[in-house]
Amino acid sequence: MEPTRNSHATLVDLLDRVLDKGLVIHADLIISLAGVPLIGVNLRTALAGMETMIKYGMMQDWDERTRAWESEHRKIKKASVTSGERVFLEMLGAYYYSGGIYTTWRMGRIYLTDKRLILYHPTFEEVLFEMQLENIKGLTLEREEHANGMKRENLCILLEAGTIARLHALDTLRLKEALEQRLLSLGLSWQEIPKLSLIDERAPSFLGNGEEVVCQGRMWHSMTCQAPAAPANQTWKAGQLYLTNRRLCWWYDFEGKIGFDISLEQIAASTLEEKAQGDTLSKKESLDVIYDSERGRRVASFSGDNLESWKITLNRTTLRIERAPTGDVETCPICEKESLITELSGELCRHCGWIAPKPKSQQRLPALQETPSCER
Amino acid sequence: MGLDTKFIDKTNAMPGNENKVKEVGRYLYCIADAGESLSLGGIGIAKNRVYTIPYNDICAVVHNCPAQPYQSENHDIVKTWVITHQEVVDAAWTRWGTVLPLSFDTIIKGESDSNAEQNVKDWLKQEYERLKKKMEDVRGKAEYGVQVFWNPKIISQNLMETNQGIKELNDVIRTKPKGLAYMYRQKLENLIKHEMETGADVCFRVFYNRIKKHTTDIRVEKTKKAEQGLQMILNLSCLVHKDRYPELGEELDSINQMEGFSVRFTGPWPPYSFVGGVS
Repeated sequence: MEPTRNSHATLVDLLDRVLDKGLVIHADLIISLAGVPLIGVNLRTALAGMETMIKYGMMQDWDERTRAWESEHRKIKKASVTSGERVFLEMLGAYYYSGGIYTTWRMGRIYLTDKRLILYHPTFEEVLFEMQLENIKGLTLEREEHANGMKRENLCILLEAGTIARLHALDTLRLKEALEQRLLSLGLSWQEIPKLSLIDERAPSFLGNGEEVVCQGRMWHSMTCQAPAAPANQTWKAGQLYLTNRRLCWWYDFEGKIGFDISLEQIAASTLEEKAQGDTLSKKESLDVIYDSERGRRVASFSGDNLESWKITLNRTTLRIERAPTGDVETCPICEKESLITELSGELCRHCGWIAPKPKSQQRLPALQETPSCER
Repeated sequence: MGLDTKFIDKTNAMPGNENKVKEVGRYLYCIADAGESLSLGGIGIAKNRVYTIPYNDICAVVHNCPAQPYQSENHDIVKTWVITHQEVVDAAWTRWGTVLPLSFDTIIKGESDSNAEQNVKDWLKQEYERLKKKMEDVRGKAEYGVQVFWNPKIISQNLMETNQGIKELNDVIRTKPKGLAYMYRQKLENLIKHEMETGADVCFRVFYNRIKKHTTDIRVEKTKKAEQGLQMILNLSCLVHKDRYPELGEELDSINQMEGFSVRFTGPWPPYSFVGGVS
């Protein structure tokens, strides 16, 4: 076997010797990087490839370079998105995006400039969200339990169009303060939104004048699908159920519109029923709202959380509604107004609140003003 | 082997800019076995003129440079420097037969140009005895790199066929139901791993002794990660008499022919691994 000196492998062998070995001088007048000089390590890794690189701990250096590169790029991109505007605050943040059935927090960098609030994704060079400061009508902080189980603060911004934008930032409080400072210096006025839970970003689109949401929550609704040449098919659809001071309606997420809409006067009763929901959810409770339509009595089924509260709220609300009595009528002994016999003797007079002796002995109904806490 | 930072002048420009920077250093390539003053021409790092600074019957092979080590982020530049360093040492080695190579980037500094030159001479004078002794140790010899690899797949396959314990366990697995067989396979893997580690130790001792008898001196180096699925089980630097390397080559041949084993034989190198340190 003959020794060799000319190949890639021998080069590594040579480098080992020239860099790590040789006569080492320990004297004051020596300038030397002898031992394991930094350049030596770098050089060897360049010759050896990734595996060796990790072995020599080079990933760290590599990582730092990548970060430096990224940081450099970020600066360039930032300049392009906020060019001509003064940036007052830059912070990592996210905004709550909701479109149809899909909701998510979209992450990016928040820029507060002299004109706008921007959420920008540097890698994809995409403006995820932006608003003109002059369009801001109100601000508030809300606390929510995040998916990671931590309580955190979100900044909710009420915009001129009546929509709400939900933002979360690395330091949400600081973002709010900076935003308020900006608004002040621009001479803009805003308000603290008192009760945010009653406002939803899409609610104004279908609410009438003077109509207010009393209660709302995520709710599945059993819909009848009419497929051509197939029997009618009940399926559950995702959406949001709203109880307003006028009606009960359900926003159909998928189509992005109201999919069920009845006035409170139409509602006859609300009950909880146990029934099979689809193939897998057998015997699950659902909220059945019995209502009168032009074609007769109908039942609408909903499924979701807090069904019991919904039932109570619905029944209380509908009790207060003036309704043309159907069936046998009797006059109230106190106010002498007409009510259904069943109602008058079984519950109470809707007009004066007189309670017949029999239900009186049972537990008194709680005050009507109380609304159950329905999950947003 | 600590870095002596107090002599590194950070304000200095890069080496090679002779016009701007006063040369107050001597870059050392090697110590040669000759007392002559001679120029080897512009063969040095960055095409610097390489020459000798003699003391008595030895000399330092140097070039003039600023009192600042060669450093660069660029791998190609550093690679060129290192290879050039080796080429200069090789040239001196060919010319004078015996050299003590220095490690890359060893620079003796001085307050002035003449002072730097004097420092080299003073150092040669001061270390003369020890340098001469080392010179005698390596005279007429060269360094060779020997690395023995094995292919773990072939070695473990051989173990399966020859090792009694492994064979038995392997037979047992065939009789076991699927779930249990999995557990046994783990056991088998551990056993093979253990047997291979033992085998590597045995091979190391056997090969080391077989190689050592052809050498004047031997250094055990760290094994490294090898390519193409091979494992390095032995990494040696051997100081071998210049006319005895064919014997070593024959010995390595017989190892190379063993199934599952391969040998890398590099050299001849100047005796980098056998010169050690001086003060």
